[in-house]
Amino acid sequence: MITALALLGYAACAAWCVPVLLAPLTRRGASVRAGLAAWLTAMASVLVSAAVAIQFSLRTVAADWPQLTRALCRSVAGGACTPAVYGSVVYQAGVIVLAVSLTLAGAVAAWRYGRRVRRSRAQTRSHARAALLVGRAIAGQARTVMLDDPRPAAYCVAGRPAAIVVTSGALAVLDPPQLAAVLAHESAHLAHGHHALATVTRGLAAAFPGVPLFTRGAAEVARLTEMAADDTATRSSGRPALVTALIAIATGAAVSSAAAAGAGIRGAAAPAGTMAAAARAVPDRVERLLRPSSRARAAAFAAALTLALTLLAAAPPALTFLATR
Amino acid sequence: MHGFGELEAVLMQRIWDHGGTLTVRDLFEELRGERNIAYTTVMSTMDNLHRKGWLARERDGKAYRYKPVASREEYSARLMREAMAGAGDTEAVLSHFVAQMDGSESAALRAVLAKLRDALP
Repeated sequence: MITALALLGYAACAAWCVPVLLAPLTRRGASVRAGLAAWLTAMASVLVSAAVAIQFSLRTVAADWPQLTRALCRSVAGGACTPAVYGSVVYQAGVIVLAVSLTLAGAVAAWRYGRRVRRSRAQTRSHARAALLVGRAIAGQARTVMLDDPRPAAYCVAGRPAAIVVTSGALAVLDPPQLAAVLAHESAHLAHGHHALATVTRGLAAAFPGVPLFTRGAAEVARLTEMAADDTATRSSGRPALVTALIAIATGAAVSSAAAAGAGIRGAAAPAGTMAAAARAVPDRVERLLRPSSRARAAAFAAALTLALTLLAAAPPALTFLATR
Repeated sequence: MHGFGELEAVLMQRIWDHGGTLTVRDLFEELRGERNIAYTTVMSTMDNLHRKGWLARERDGKAYRYKPVASREEYSARLMREAMAGAGDTEAVLSHFVAQMDGSESAALRAVLAKLRDALP
């Protein structure tokens, strides 16, 4: 009982407190990998704690069951109903209510998660299939198609096979190096399995609506995977092409990547702090590319995130050990 | 399996480009000049596309005449609607290069760009 309560208390506290602590550490994407690992570890830590709490309270119910039935019997019998028995009935009823409600909550969450993941997988696959059938192949690019639409957009969709879609509106505002950067970004998502992270985190957000760790966490994981794909695209296509491609698609107006490279968009000539504190994906990404974190800053953030990750991973086993001792 | 999906795409593109209705024979004759392909392959692929709801067909003598259920533009529009819908409306996992921006985000981006322009010569 103590163990179950300790783990539940931790899970509830972490589900509401961790987002407040982690979000400032991962917002600027100083250390993308450590950030992703920290968010995912936090989610796993809370889920494991809740699952172990359910298991402990179920075990308590099973162990106390004979005693409970005896107590109930005596209380119905009347005269034998001593205060000790009465107290124990309340205690055990409490345990049963806790176990049953936790199990129900777990079952509802699992059902919501499963429904969301199944639907999302079906829709994702059918979108990819249709895109590959309807879109016109882009020369020299496997699994990459163009759809006619004046709105500039580019996206990838997981599936069997996966597809990368670029609209005619996007092609109209991108020069060849920028298109290469966009395709490198989208390929990075597919190659690194970012869609799987999105499926799981969005499924958890659907399973636990209103729980900040999962709702905020899904959004933060999405932001971090964008930044991770930016980093991959920067390595192959260069920063000027990627930044100008972002701006071109976001604003719908062509920006020459060559001119930007000439003008020194590498980080050194970047504008100083322009952003308010709110989490805004596209401006944050542009700012991050224009003004990359220094090595020291990245290392400090990675260290802080690694510490948080270690504590989150250690919490469930530590609490279980301390409470059962 | 990949190859088969690719052939489906090739056939659909041909049928859309062609306009009107086509028999398996028409399409086979057209493709034979360009790629090594068997009549039965074209036939089974078109049958698959019919089963999956992409092609409608009607009997014309001994053969079927096929035509697209909807135009390429209609399918494109449907896909773009799904892709552009807000996160709540679509359950497909699409990863946009640039997510749809709200007003404050556009303003923030314009602010970055203004500073950028100042920073550039």
